[in-house]
Amino acid sequence: MLPEPPHNGGYLVAAYIVATIILLGYWLRLLRLARRSR
Amino acid sequence: MSAPEIPTLRPERLIRRGLWLSGVGFLGLILVYVLALTYAPVEARQGLAQKIFYVHVPAAWSTLLAFSLVGIASATYLWLEDRRLDRFAAASAEVGVVFGGVMLTTGPIWAKPIWGTWWTWDARLTLTLFLFFLFVGYLALRAAVQDPEERARFSAVVGILGMLLVPFIHLSVYLFRTLHPQPIVLKPSAPSLPPEMLRTLLVSTLVFTVLYLGFVTARYGLALEQELREQGPDAA
Repeated sequence: MLPEPPHNGGYLVAAYIVATIILLGYWLRLLRLARRSR
Repeated sequence: MSAPEIPTLRPERLIRRGLWLSGVGFLGLILVYVLALTYAPVEARQGLAQKIFYVHVPAAWSTLLAFSLVGIASATYLWLEDRRLDRFAAASAEVGVVFGGVMLTTGPIWAKPIWGTWWTWDARLTLTLFLFFLFVGYLALRAAVQDPEERARFSAVVGILGMLLVPFIHLSVYLFRTLHPQPIVLKPSAPSLPPEMLRTLLVSTLVFTVLYLGFVTARYGLALEQELREQGPDAA
């Protein structure tokens, strides 16, 4: 029988939050530049 | 005989399309998170941390795609001297650095619970970090050189040199002794993943490619708009 998987879900949540913040942050930067250029 | 006139798209339309496309990409990203958490199975030895893979690998794909296209556009620019190629290279480099940021932060977050360390100076990781800094340098160079012709030529050379690193990074896990896992999809034999994991990875790769296309389109439109404002309609 396989041992129980390690409990490391916190790292998963951290990685998804960091990735979302970076990508969303860049999108908001583009949006701000687009608004400024109008 | 003169070359056929290729119509230039209006910058505001490009910006709008790019922002919409990346908005669609963000909806896809939510789907990726749902698939990763509910559809893809939990890996027995690595636990939930293995699911970082569904963001890290597609981010690496988008980064290497972006930097490869910078190199191709740069080499073609040196040949044809078409400003659209230089503008595209600049947009792709900036977006590549953003995806590189995702790759270089999610990688260590996975490595800590699996390897027991945030970072190790092995060939794959070191080369990837070097590539990232090279393209940060590319963007700094573009910001420092004022003359558009000089800026395009100098940065094209850096862009081509950066592209040459990409195949070394992909093959580094075969060429050197490295802790980094070997490719499980882009390899000569069939992908070695359970179907649920493979489908989730493929959906995520598609979503990250849509995000790349959306970001690059918007960034290209913004650069075009700035050029038109500075130099008049001839810049297109």
